[in-house]
Amino acid sequence: MDSNRWDRIQSVFHGAADLPKSQQRAFLVSACANDESLIADIQALLDEDAKDSSLLNRNMADIASEVLDDPDSHRFPFKDFGPYRIVRVLGEGGMGVVFLAERRDLHSQVAIKILRDAWVSPARRERFSSEQRTLAQLNHPSIARLYDADTLPDGTPLFVMEYVEGCSIVEYCKKLNCSIDDRLKLFRLICEAVEYAHSQAVIHRDLKPSNILVRSDGTVRLLDFGIAKQLEDVNVAADVTRTSFRFLTPAYASPEQIGGDRVGIQSDVYSLGVILYELLCDRLPFDFSNQTPAEAQAAILENEPVRPSLIGQRTVTEKPANSLGGAGSITKAAWTDLDVLCLGAMHKDPQRRYRSVEALIRDIDHYLRGEPLEARPDSVLYRMHKFIGRNRRTVAATAFVGALMVGLVIFYTLRLAKARNAALAEAARTQRVEQFMQDLFQGDAESTGPADDLRVVTVLERGEKQARALDEDPEIQADLYQTLGTMYDQLGKYDQADSLLKASLAQRKATRGADSAKVAESLVALANLRNDQAQLEEAEALARQALQMSKRHLPPDNPVVARATLTLGRILDNRGKYDETIPTLEEAMRLESGPKGVPADLSATLSELANTHYYLGHYDISKDLNERALRMDEQIYGDRNPNVAQDLTNLADIQYQWSNYAEAERLQRTAVGIMQAWYGKDHPETADDMTILGKYLIAEGRAEEAIPILRESLAALEKHYGKVHPRVALAVGELGLALQHQGNLDEAEADFSRQAEIYRSVYGEKNQQLGAAIANLAGLYADRKDYARSEQLYRDALKLYADSLPAGHLNIAIARVKLGGVLFRDKRYSDAEAESRAGYELLLKQSTPPARWVQTARNDLLSEYDAMDQSEKAAKIRSELGGTSAVSNPAKN
Amino acid sequence: MVPRESRPLRMGAELLGTSGSTESPEQRRALDQLFSVTYEELRRLASAVKRGDPSVTLSPTALVNEAWLKLSKSPGFTTASRLHFKRIAARAMRQLLIEAARRRNANKRGGGADVTVAFDDSFDEKPASGRELIALDAALEQLAQMNPRQAMMVESRFFGGLDVSETAELLEVSEATVLRDWRAAKAWLAHELRRDR
Repeated sequence: MDSNRWDRIQSVFHGAADLPKSQQRAFLVSACANDESLIADIQALLDEDAKDSSLLNRNMADIASEVLDDPDSHRFPFKDFGPYRIVRVLGEGGMGVVFLAERRDLHSQVAIKILRDAWVSPARRERFSSEQRTLAQLNHPSIARLYDADTLPDGTPLFVMEYVEGCSIVEYCKKLNCSIDDRLKLFRLICEAVEYAHSQAVIHRDLKPSNILVRSDGTVRLLDFGIAKQLEDVNVAADVTRTSFRFLTPAYASPEQIGGDRVGIQSDVYSLGVILYELLCDRLPFDFSNQTPAEAQAAILENEPVRPSLIGQRTVTEKPANSLGGAGSITKAAWTDLDVLCLGAMHKDPQRRYRSVEALIRDIDHYLRGEPLEARPDSVLYRMHKFIGRNRRTVAATAFVGALMVGLVIFYTLRLAKARNAALAEAARTQRVEQFMQDLFQGDAESTGPADDLRVVTVLERGEKQARALDEDPEIQADLYQTLGTMYDQLGKYDQADSLLKASLAQRKATRGADSAKVAESLVALANLRNDQAQLEEAEALARQALQMSKRHLPPDNPVVARATLTLGRILDNRGKYDETIPTLEEAMRLESGPKGVPADLSATLSELANTHYYLGHYDISKDLNERALRMDEQIYGDRNPNVAQDLTNLADIQYQWSNYAEAERLQRTAVGIMQAWYGKDHPETADDMTILGKYLIAEGRAEEAIPILRESLAALEKHYGKVHPRVALAVGELGLALQHQGNLDEAEADFSRQAEIYRSVYGEKNQQLGAAIANLAGLYADRKDYARSEQLYRDALKLYADSLPAGHLNIAIARVKLGGVLFRDKRYSDAEAESRAGYELLLKQSTPPARWVQTARNDLLSEYDAMDQSEKAAKIRSELGGTSAVSNPAKN
Repeated sequence: MVPRESRPLRMGAELLGTSGSTESPEQRRALDQLFSVTYEELRRLASAVKRGDPSVTLSPTALVNEAWLKLSKSPGFTTASRLHFKRIAARAMRQLLIEAARRRNANKRGGGADVTVAFDDSFDEKPASGRELIALDAALEQLAQMNPRQAMMVESRFFGGLDVSETAELLEVSEATVLRDWRAAKAWLAHELRRDR
């Protein structure tokens, strides 16, 4: 049928379709002018339309189930194949079906796996033959062996492997009521097989009891490398890894497998942890019955399993008949070790699990020999982290999580006690602190209502009260003071922070000695506090002292050393000592990138280093570092966290520097949204970000919109910091600029003067912030046409810049361009030309010259040359305009 | 005998939104994976039907959404919009089902292979949906000659589970037009399929 006829048919069809059947014929006859063949065609359609019963109405799943091979019949197309005779179906794997077969000449049994529907895609065939290659490569007594590989006459690939008769490790242990030690010994055999596979660069990725069979002779066999992966493939084929998710058994899959992240040997470590859990507890860590796949995934990603000790011990007391063999004879301390073994392998963060299966085996051996374990039990720490993660809005403090984490990491690092006795003593202490923290955050249901309503400060105040009552245990008390003090610092409650951190320091000096790792830790916290209080000189001294002390008492890869380094870098940056800042922060970065590094610290350092490069005008470097930090923070904290907002703010600022104001506004509004949701509108952190948003609005020529935002943020900042504080100065300056844009010059001048005063009293006479305030004033006098005063102020600002900024800094360039403009308006053309020219050349030397200022400088120069009748030079500038690509904004390319 | 060459299913590069006619290796890999994932999902649907498992959502919409979740980060698909992806997935579903139906029919008829004895002799009589699917495929080809938009609409809605508003957005027509086109195309296809019996 041609399309014209079809169009015609359709149009008549639609005209007739909704008519009563009795009228349709008449309609067709008149519409088709008696063309009977047309009428017949349309009538046929109308009949179908009335019946409405075509294939298109059927359920696709039904059709699929009819068209695809019956998935449950496991039909092997050939009874006999080569020397083999097919006996029965053993099971169905992800892609293929496994049959039991008998080798007729040898009367031995084998398992044959065939790939079903190989035609679908080369990817399926590739995956199948990769399993075959993997098996061929592995030669270990506990791994089922590959015998042969072939294709069926119809092209279906298959391979023949060792048939293992036995039952799953979990069933086996249940049936024989094995003791804990026996279970561990069996488990150890599996670990050895997995470790062997890892040594052959193969990750199993689907370890689960049904893939681990125990034969009647007590030997184990690891089966099904169907989705195993060669280590070196892992990075390049992340997407392949993702697609294979559907083959995973969620109960044993690691969070990174569920989340579709990169999968390494740690994933196998996780699955082994789950299997061990099941062996110890006779149940899975998470109950997925009655859960949708999505709920199961969420549980794996977010929930913490109940500690095996709780279940194991309960099993003994509640139902002795069903208890694990020998569980009753296990001491509490031994259960604690089993917790560590199990949860140490099951950590959500792959980096914090046992580093290798070998490490896990070592600790199993330690356990079996009654020696202390090597792993540190940081599940408590992790639980805290998770608690906070779930209650983000309640627990409202930016680096709260970070601070707490660091505090507790340090705390637990010290748990690496060499002797068992010491370890036990520490364990008691750990439990106490754990209990304490949990009580703290669970809240007192009667007096405070649900935990969601709990304000952090209330929690901290209660914590402080309880901590002060812990007189009899000064070590715990000092740890808690430190943690609480750091939290207060993060919350901006500097007085409480000061008293707690000093108390912690004093306690530790008394118990550990004035020169000790613990004291160093306190000094770091105190240095951070002084930094936040803008008492920079003391802050630097404290940080240096802390760094030296921590290096004396701790190995270089201890997180405390890195943290002291970061703190020092941060303070040096605030002091404007950029030459020292960069190497210091790079050192911190190096320390934190090591295996024991704390990811949250690394991202903090990246941000800090990004800031330093930003101040030095290295915007591209800064942008890269900030983007790295953003990615890390989104991973660590989730995307609605103040740390993420901070990264966005930094990136916005760089866009602002590149004159991409709309992009800057967009990023900043996202940041403000996060901050408002997290802290509330009046919080100083939110206010800071609103100030910055105001600045971008001004740049976009929307001063009207900026002014109410800036007034709001200024009020919040003054309320919090008092009248004299750098953050207040920033808001005051922006408000001044907005007012200046509106032509309200008197109020603007008052604001700029106040800004300058604040910077002077906080930073002293020689700093770039004061320079910026003075440059603001200079701009104002230019608006008033008081060019002499304006020139003088610009020159003052430039002098400050010369003392506090590296030569050739962007701010210097801009100030000179502005000064040139003022001199031009004062009709001092040749002086003006000197400044404009100097500014212009400095601009062009920037790694990414800001387009707006380059344009301004060029226009000024053109005007100046025109005014001086220097048409040749003007022509040269004009010719340079043609080559604008050289200075166009890289961010837009 | 020579094993029958496994013929990878093919789709045009235009489906991936590339201007030229050649697929990049990345895109080819992405398509290859799309077929694997779609196949695996189809099989999951099919066995859920067999088990009478009510907890599995038995719709092409869910299937295509799953496929999108699994593949959206593949390099070959990162440039495709979700809607565009659904269209590609609909095409993949069509090709997979048709190919499966063809192979099933070929097996039944002996398929030209020098057949050995089937292990399971009850190589059953299924409902005729396999043959119907093949007929639908041919009819859709015809419809594409008559009105390409309608053919694409049927493919997207029936095989890809796109709803009316998505189909309208994809084809850049109003929802009313989608409903009208769909009604006429459905009637015509039903008629063609009936004739083919």
